[in-house]
Amino acid sequence: MFNDLDPLLHSQLRLAVMSLLISVESAEFTFLKEKTKSTAGNLSVQLDKLSEAGYIRVEKSFRGKKPLTTCSITKKGIKAFEDYVNNLKQYINK
Amino acid sequence: MKDSENLSAQQSLDIITSMIDQAKGNVQRNSFYFLLWGWVVVLANLGMFTLSMLHYKHPYIVWTITIPAWLYTLYHSFKSSTDKTATSHFDRISAALWICYAICIFTLVVFGYKINYQLGPVILIVSVLPTFISGMILRFKPLMIGGIFFWIFGIIGFLLPTYMQSLAGAVAILCGYLIPGYMLKNKREE
Repeated sequence: MFNDLDPLLHSQLRLAVMSLLISVESAEFTFLKEKTKSTAGNLSVQLDKLSEAGYIRVEKSFRGKKPLTTCSITKKGIKAFEDYVNNLKQYINK
Repeated sequence: MKDSENLSAQQSLDIITSMIDQAKGNVQRNSFYFLLWGWVVVLANLGMFTLSMLHYKHPYIVWTITIPAWLYTLYHSFKSSTDKTATSHFDRISAALWICYAICIFTLVVFGYKINYQLGPVILIVSVLPTFISGMILRFKPLMIGGIFFWIFGIIGFLLPTYMQSLAGAVAILCGYLIPGYMLKNKREE
């Protein structure tokens, strides 16, 4: 019997964002957009979903006059990502 | 990237590995500091050795060339921190490590008179820590070997007469900073 994969992470863009954020201390919106090759609108929506679930922290500030969005993974997010990878292993080893 | 939810296990795994790979980024950009400081300190050591051989009264005056290097380091690190769109775990640890190192060196220089300015070998031994640990974190062996060279030349420095210590320092920097620094730089250009 396999555990279900977390639906919040089992999506291409959200999984990509989480994989990036688990590898860095923090990342700006532009970095995530560039690495995932996503559109600003779609990325924004997915970040909101991850943030609402408490998987990531989104901080809004300013650099000079430009708005700056910085994201980082939370402890809850790290746990969810680890669980997701462990569940994934069961599918791979099937 | 679309927001598809019909992922196979293999596709999920591919996304995870490719993104982690992307985020690894260019740790090699650190080569700049190794090359800058490598050359500055090699020149200072060789300059001090030459002035000592010429029996100049204050050969250590040559170390003032490190002042512009400090200023440029501060400017460069400030500029690259504002240009950077992601901060890696390594960036944070690395910054802490080298700031601690700089504080230690500064303290040693200020209180150098207490140990009769036998600073060369002491600084080489202190240099082992940030160099070796940076090599460990970057998983870059030449830098770890560079750290070991600092340790070896630190010991050699203690055994040499004072005027020869700066020569040991120059060779140590060549092995500890410059060679690994150029290897790191070339790795980036690959």
